[in-house]
Amino acid sequence: MNHLPIRGRISVLMHMLSSVLRRLRGWILTGGAFIVLAGCAKNAPQDTWKPKGANATKIDNLQKPVFAVAGVIGVIVFVAVIYCVIKFRDRGQPIPRQTHGNPALEITLTIIPALILTVVGVFTVRTVFDLAKTSDTEMIINVTGQQWWWEYDYPVQEQYGITEPIVTSGQLVIPVGTKILLRETSRDVIHSYWIPALNGKRDAVPGRIQTNRIEADQPGIYAGQCTEFCGLSHANMRMEAVALSKEDFAKWVANQQSKYVAPADGTLAKEGEAVFLNQCVRCHQVNGLTRADGSPAIATADENVWTGVAPNLTHLMSRNTFAGAMFDLSTPECRKDVWESDSATFGSKYLAGVTEACLNQTALRDWLRNAPAVKPMYTNPALLSPTDGKYRGMPYLGLSESDIEKLVAYLLTRQ
Amino acid sequence: MFTTGSKYFLGLSVLAGVAFAVSMFFANPSALGATALIGLVGALALLAGVVLYARDGDVGSGEVTASSNRPAPTSMWPLISAGGVALLLIGTITQPAFFLLGIVVLVAAFVEWMVLCWSESASSDDQFNAGIRKRLLNPIEFPVLGAVGLGLLIFSFSRVMLAVDSRVGVALFIIIGALLIVGGALFAMRPTLKQGLVTAICTLAAIAIVGAGVSAAQNGMRSELVAARYESDHEVQRECGANATEHGDSGVTQTISSVSGVSATVEFIDGKLLAHVQGMTGFQNAITIPRSSPSNIIFRNFDSGRFRLVAHLGTKQVTEGVVEEVVACTQLIRSGAEQLLTLSIPKSSVANGPYFLSIAGIDDQSVDLVVP
Repeated sequence: MNHLPIRGRISVLMHMLSSVLRRLRGWILTGGAFIVLAGCAKNAPQDTWKPKGANATKIDNLQKPVFAVAGVIGVIVFVAVIYCVIKFRDRGQPIPRQTHGNPALEITLTIIPALILTVVGVFTVRTVFDLAKTSDTEMIINVTGQQWWWEYDYPVQEQYGITEPIVTSGQLVIPVGTKILLRETSRDVIHSYWIPALNGKRDAVPGRIQTNRIEADQPGIYAGQCTEFCGLSHANMRMEAVALSKEDFAKWVANQQSKYVAPADGTLAKEGEAVFLNQCVRCHQVNGLTRADGSPAIATADENVWTGVAPNLTHLMSRNTFAGAMFDLSTPECRKDVWESDSATFGSKYLAGVTEACLNQTALRDWLRNAPAVKPMYTNPALLSPTDGKYRGMPYLGLSESDIEKLVAYLLTRQ
Repeated sequence: MFTTGSKYFLGLSVLAGVAFAVSMFFANPSALGATALIGLVGALALLAGVVLYARDGDVGSGEVTASSNRPAPTSMWPLISAGGVALLLIGTITQPAFFLLGIVVLVAAFVEWMVLCWSESASSDDQFNAGIRKRLLNPIEFPVLGAVGLGLLIFSFSRVMLAVDSRVGVALFIIIGALLIVGGALFAMRPTLKQGLVTAICTLAAIAIVGAGVSAAQNGMRSELVAARYESDHEVQRECGANATEHGDSGVTQTISSVSGVSATVEFIDGKLLAHVQGMTGFQNAITIPRSSPSNIIFRNFDSGRFRLVAHLGTKQVTEGVVEEVVACTQLIRSGAEQLLTLSIPKSSVANGPYFLSIAGIDDQSVDLVVP
């Protein structure tokens, strides 16, 4: 083919391409249909077209018209290109006369897109400024990302009953109808916080505080996903925002600030507390937990984990996910009951926490038995030299079945 | 049945499959490596299929014979490959950087040599062969060589800036920037200038910069930078008293380039220490910052006199029975100036707190620092 002129070679290639496409037409159509139909999920908690809060609604009000305009233009261009490709395809005819310099046409084709972009730009910039507004914030929450979970800490805000900082993870709990300012940062790499139903995404950057405003209209659970590739388990770095009525939020705050109650002596949970003190407190904090000599048990995650922290488990059973919101702490039935409850009953069901009857024992035990086997993490001791021997994620602890039994009993008391 | 091209890609595909098997069963099995190697097997198999389908682009047999009968022209790539191998060997016993450079050189030589051989046997027309080599590789060669050249110039210039006195550095930056603009403007205004002359001037300038960079790198960085390099946690080590220290308070930064993305702003006004947190109305008497995460606090001194902000971060045991206070602080800054204090606190303030911020020499003003 090399001895052919350029045009001849292109013609041969086009012929080969059309031949391949003809043969694969059936497969291409079937594949295309599957791809299109894949967008028709009924249960899609991260649907960007269903806003549930003020900021998400502002984005929705912008994206729908822009999508319509872009869609119409896209269809026109696509149809025109396909028409030209078929109508004027190479059939051996001479190259048509080439025209240059049609000022009227060129100016028209420049002005129309410029006008469209200007209109879209004006509304986009206005929305961007609206979304960036923080002056009327009613509550702030610090959000810190790390591989591969989110930590939330609530600074003291006495108007909401928060008299000492609250630290939780996985599920962000907020009062409805309240303008919340998330102050996002990261402990390791860049992550991105995104609850589609409540607002757009915002990167969490190490060393910087990035603000992101959310507000939920109705009580409920709103799902999200880290949207900046952040390493091995990026796909498993999820999050949920739980919106409660103001009364229910006050109850949640009161529960989070309640004093530590040790399990009764002689119970399995008490034995689990001992296992926790021996094993888990190396990284996980349970506020109020004390050692045998009465000194507070302080997590030393900074000595074991690259990011220096592990999720605070003081009220683990008050949230219904764990391991970066990847696994359900509740059984599917109980979780469905909470997720699908109406606004009036949602709060009470969520605040009931995870009871023994509702605990997803299988998932929790699998996690305690061998965490890296169920969620990929950098925990292979032979490969930790880049992090000075520190883990990125929860390692395999080699717990016995008896210890797992005791730990589950203890964790169930962390309501 | 199998064409030359398809045999090549099939061979590579099998090789990648063997690498996958070796990696999984004998080396270190990892999901990432397995995915990459299986992806490589798939991609190479696909290429083999395409090449087979297209019959190697349908090269005429006469052309192949004509070109293959000619003696192979001289090539510099065997020499460069040998250099790459030498770098690999040197790298294994000296520094990993040489080893990596050797790999880069070998990969580049492999690609260049392979494409050169392919193009030389494409037809009996040398000009045509050279043309297709250029068409294939120039879009890669020019950006890569441009980036390498630019990187070398920037690196050389940075060595010069690190070696000379900071005031000389500012002057040098202005002079070289001005020369570049003037030179560029002159070249633009005189389009008839001989290309050889422009090339010669640019080459001489580049050689001068690289030469200066090599010389500066040999002399090393200026003394204060050398000292800073070996000083870790300088904010924690700095003396945090009310009086100026000989080293810690020299070359004081009075302004900061970033005022956004900070955890809090702390101001010292009329003898009062006030903290402001974005999103909270009014001034706060406590700042909450996350544990084990670098948090920036802006300190602004609006009082008369020079003051420093001090973070009191509990205590630590130095030796048996000896406990000392952990502090971090800004430098002493003049009235109207500002400075950033970056804190990364590994333990909760519950552990050995309470933590707080204060002004050195002022006892009755503080802001709590909460690390949950």
